[in-house]
Amino acid sequence: MRTQMIAWVGTASVLMLTGCTQAMAQGPGHAAMASPTAGASTMAASSGTKAAQLRAGLNNLFSEHVYLAGAATNAALGGREAEFKAAAGALDANSVAISKAIGSVYGEGAEKAFLPLWRRHIGFVVDYTVGVAGNDKAKQDKAVGDLVNYTQDFGAFLSSANPNLPKSVVADLVKHHVVTLKDVIDAQASKDPARAYTALRSAAGHMQMIADPLAEAIVKQFPDKFSS
Amino acid sequence: MGAREIIGAGSALAFVMAALVASAEPIPAIDVQLFQFQPGAVVVPSGTTVTWTNRDDIEHTVTSGDPEHRTGRFDLRLQGRGASTTVRFSEPGVYLYFCDRHPSMRGEIRVDP
Repeated sequence: MRTQMIAWVGTASVLMLTGCTQAMAQGPGHAAMASPTAGASTMAASSGTKAAQLRAGLNNLFSEHVYLAGAATNAALGGREAEFKAAAGALDANSVAISKAIGSVYGEGAEKAFLPLWRRHIGFVVDYTVGVAGNDKAKQDKAVGDLVNYTQDFGAFLSSANPNLPKSVVADLVKHHVVTLKDVIDAQASKDPARAYTALRSAAGHMQMIADPLAEAIVKQFPDKFSS
Repeated sequence: MGAREIIGAGSALAFVMAALVASAEPIPAIDVQLFQFQPGAVVVPSGTTVTWTNRDDIEHTVTSGDPEHRTGRFDLRLQGRGASTTVRFSEPGVYLYFCDRHPSMRGEIRVDP
């Protein structure tokens, strides 16, 4: 069973990293539903402005990323192959959608550069899940190290795209994303659903800490593009 | 020599110096920015020195070949923002390269005779 699970996770890793899912991604304009975690008091613009739509769209995509990742890891750790493949495919569609959101602001080149960078951290999460499933501490530690290093890459990318996003700040926020998602996986592996779902809500809620500053920095960078 | 000749000679010297400086300047310049080599593909005559400059706040490399088939011709590090490196291409051909730290970053230099 354990070997099967690892094989399934490995297969999904290939699926996610090669992006062979046929699911079509939707751009940020199609994902403009406000995140339930977005507090009204933090909203700088009314819901009708392009800036608010950008913020809501990014919040939606990033929180969806966490819920789909949690669904994929839960299915993998539970040995449910078909569910895992479906979740992994949906997760990759979400990755494509996030990269298109980046591309809608920074162009096609940035979109193409962002997607493999984003998929890379999902691959490391898969590695960690495989390590947990196989009770392989060395593999888990390697994956955590890769994820921590990855936060620097992600911070550098966004900082390069937008001078209003300091690399170290972005890296710290992504590091927290990694930590909160790790809590989800650990709780799932310990077969503690109450803790797992509490951790999942926490991890999804944290994504607002990434989506909001990103949206605000983009609006600050391109005020004309996002003025209503 | 009159003032006009001196000015004329000075102008000619300045022109020659500018031409020498221009010919000594490595071309073309490739920016490494937003985890991309920009431009991704360039065509140069043989004997050209190409310069890469890192605009990202992270280390990149300029490594010959592709991740599956490294050619070993060059493997240069761009430590961080502002770092630059050069490679002289003396032989015609198509030279692929990539970033060893971020293998999705690819570029190509086509060297014409």
